[in-house]
This record gives sequence, structure tokens and C-alpha cells, in this order.
Amino acid sequence: MSHADVHHHDRAHTHHADETLVTEDEAGNLEAQIIIDALQNLLVTKNLLAPEEVTQEIERLEAPGVHLGALIVARAWADPAYKARLLANGKSAALELGIKVGEAQLIVVENSTTVHNLVCCTLCSCYPRSILGQPPSWYISKAYRARAVREPRVVLAEFGLLLPEDVELRVHDSNADMRYLILPERPTGSESMDMSQLAELVTRDCMIGVAKVAPVRAPRK
Amino acid sequence: MTVRFRVGDTVKVSDLGKAGHIRTPFYVRGKVGEVIQFCGFFLNPENLAVGNTAGPVIPLYRVSFRQKDLWPHYEGSPGDKVLIEIYDHWLTAAPGITSGKCEAERSS
Amino acid sequence: MTRGYHDIGGDQAGSVPQQELPWLHWEKQVEAVRNLLGDATRRIISLDELRRGFESFGVEKYKKLSFYRRRLEAMIDILIEKEVVAREELEAEIARVRARWRTARGGLP
Repeated sequence: MSHADVHHHDRAHTHHADETLVTEDEAGNLEAQIIIDALQNLLVTKNLLAPEEVTQEIERLEAPGVHLGALIVARAWADPAYKARLLANGKSAALELGIKVGEAQLIVVENSTTVHNLVCCTLCSCYPRSILGQPPSWYISKAYRARAVREPRVVLAEFGLLLPEDVELRVHDSNADMRYLILPERPTGSESMDMSQLAELVTRDCMIGVAKVAPVRAPRK
Repeated sequence: MTVRFRVGDTVKVSDLGKAGHIRTPFYVRGKVGEVIQFCGFFLNPENLAVGNTAGPVIPLYRVSFRQKDLWPHYEGSPGDKVLIEIYDHWLTAAPGITSGKCEAERSS
Repeated sequence: MTRGYHDIGGDQAGSVPQQELPWLHWEKQVEAVRNLLGDATRRIISLDELRRGFESFGVEKYKKLSFYRRRLEAMIDILIEKEVVAREELEAEIARVRARWRTARGGLP
């Protein structure tokens, strides 16, 4: 049976309508695992890969995550001079914290009371993976890619974020060599927090732009 | 290779009618925007996609478009924008067309 | 104007699906293999070539496949194009691997 036949006959996708996320079902996931294993076996036989390298590379891919972005944001909130360097050159500022940005450049855009930023990639799935890890499923969905540039306020409302009309909404389509990280507004109530406490407030969705960091309610004594 | 545009320049995105891998989305072609940043020099992804790494490197800019210039029935705020990266050869100067400083629009 | 089927910015679409999917092992493996094949010691397939792969394997396939499956299929297409692997030997190896899975699962599909 040819590979093409395998693809068309053996798998049932969960695919009801365009807006539904296209995912593999259990059979599809197994099939994909078989195919990548087979490909890897061939590449190993041809001395193009070593299995240990793949294991290590997977570990390397798993290492970045929201916690790294949160470190950057927290530092920028706590240290205005760092924030200035971050906004001028995201890659070198991240490196100051030991975070090695693997993409060409990182552009950090700052939210304020007058400007809200949102990041997308309409053409594929560009995302600051070397900092934040893999993008969430919705970021790579057809619906987000198609609509984030055209009706961003409606998309934000779906995420529960309603922006006032006097706030300028800037959508960044990461279509080429730059990658984007949003510096969210520091929440009210966080004034006395240290950097590690600040970092705990920062969520992935705030760094993509579909959420704001919630105000901190100070405990009353 | 020359950096043909500076921050603040009004530019129009050409439609080069190119087949193959391109990174200039359909929705900005023919649209007018403002250069807001020079990003540096990069190899052309149109060539890299077919394994041609010969170069030259080309300038890449971030260009800002007003949403109401991109979509006929945009329903958000007049100040809303899309910012996107465009390679030099996709841009032409459009000095006679107002790219729209949004301050001028905010009188109402 | 030419417009790739992947070039969907501005298209109509339904609401953004909010469920979070886990990142599966095979998906990580696809990314890892592509990264390694594209690294400075090999330079066999770049990210740009991978993108060209899924932008040219056809709109039906593009719409039908999940995100990481698109990348896997694109990588295979490019590797075959470059004669790094041949389709027949890949199919043969897929059959072998599938048979081992079936044996391991006691004959269950």
C-alpha cells in the first residue's frame, strides 16, 4: 500500500467545519508516530541522524516555556533601565537573563493605557518558540490566523477581553524574520511585589495579547 | 543592495505576481502604509525556499497599515493598525498618498 | 494576484477553538528531526523549504491535515525531492514499523 493510500484510507480526522481545529484521532496519531519513526530509522541508517540527537533535541524543544517569558516581563516591570534595553533589542536583553533567542530577532512591544498589542502569524505559525515554547492550538488554528488581522476586537472578545474604543489595537503579523513578545501592563496592586512574585502573575496569553494581567487584590489585614 | 526606505516613508505594497513561496500576504498587496522600522538585512525567503542561499541579503521593514485601509467594513477603532514585515522589493514609494496619521482623523 | 491556499489572513472563519491540545511525542519528534536536518552540520532542509513543502502539496491535503502532520508530510516531500530518501524505501520502512506496532499490541490495529 502506498504512503498516499495509507493517508487517505486509514485515518479519520476530527474535522466538522472549517472553524473546528483539525486534529488527528487516535488512529491518526498512531499513524503519524509510525511514519516519523520510519523516517527517523531511514535517516539513522543513512548516517544523517543519531537517535540520541533526536532525544536531546526533543528535550531542548521542551525546555522553553511561559516561565522564560514571565522572567523577562517581570524584570522589565521591576527595572526601567532593563525595560528600555528590552524594547530596543529584545534578543540581547533576553540574553542578559540567560535566555538565548534562537530566532533572528525579538521585538518586544509594550501595552499601555492607550495601545494594546496582539500577535499572530497568518501564513503559518511563527511564534517566539525559543522563549515561550510551542504556541497554543488556537494560535495555529485557521480561525485565529484568518481573523486576528481582520477583526481583532471580535477575536479578543471571544477571549473575554473587551478593549475601549480609545485604545489603539495593533496587530503584529509575524510573517518574516522577526518574532514578537508583548510586554503587558503591570497590574495594579503589584507595586510591592518582588520579581519572582511578579513573574507568577504573567500568563502566556498576556504575552500573545489575548489577555491582560489581572489586577492584584491586596490581602486586607 | 540599497535600503530604499526610511522610517516615516509612505509605501505601497506591490503585487509581484510571483508563484512559489512568498511571505507577503495577499491582504496587504496594493495597500498603502508607513514604514515604522528597519529590521535589517536577510536572505530572501523566496530563494531560500528552493535551496538558493546565494543572496544578496535584502532589507526588511516593518510597515504599519491602518485597519480601515485594509478592510472595507472594518468595525474597530479608526486608530487600529496591522504591523507586518515586508521585504524591500515588494515596496514602492507612495509619497502622494496619505498613509494616514491617525491624529488627523481623530477630530470627530 | 497569486494567492497561496495557506495565505488566509482576512478570510472568514468561525470562532477561535479554545481547547488546548497537548503537544504529542510524535509532533515533537517531527520538529526535532527537521531542526537537526536543518542545522549547520547538515543543512538538508530549511524552515523555508519546509514551508514551501506544505504550501505546494495541495489545498485538499492542507485543509485536511493537522498542523504537525502537515509539517511531517512537507518534510517527507522535500526529502524525497532532494533524494535524501526514496518513497519506496520509506513505504517499506513504514510497513515494517507498523508490523512491529501490531505485534507489540498483540495484533490490535
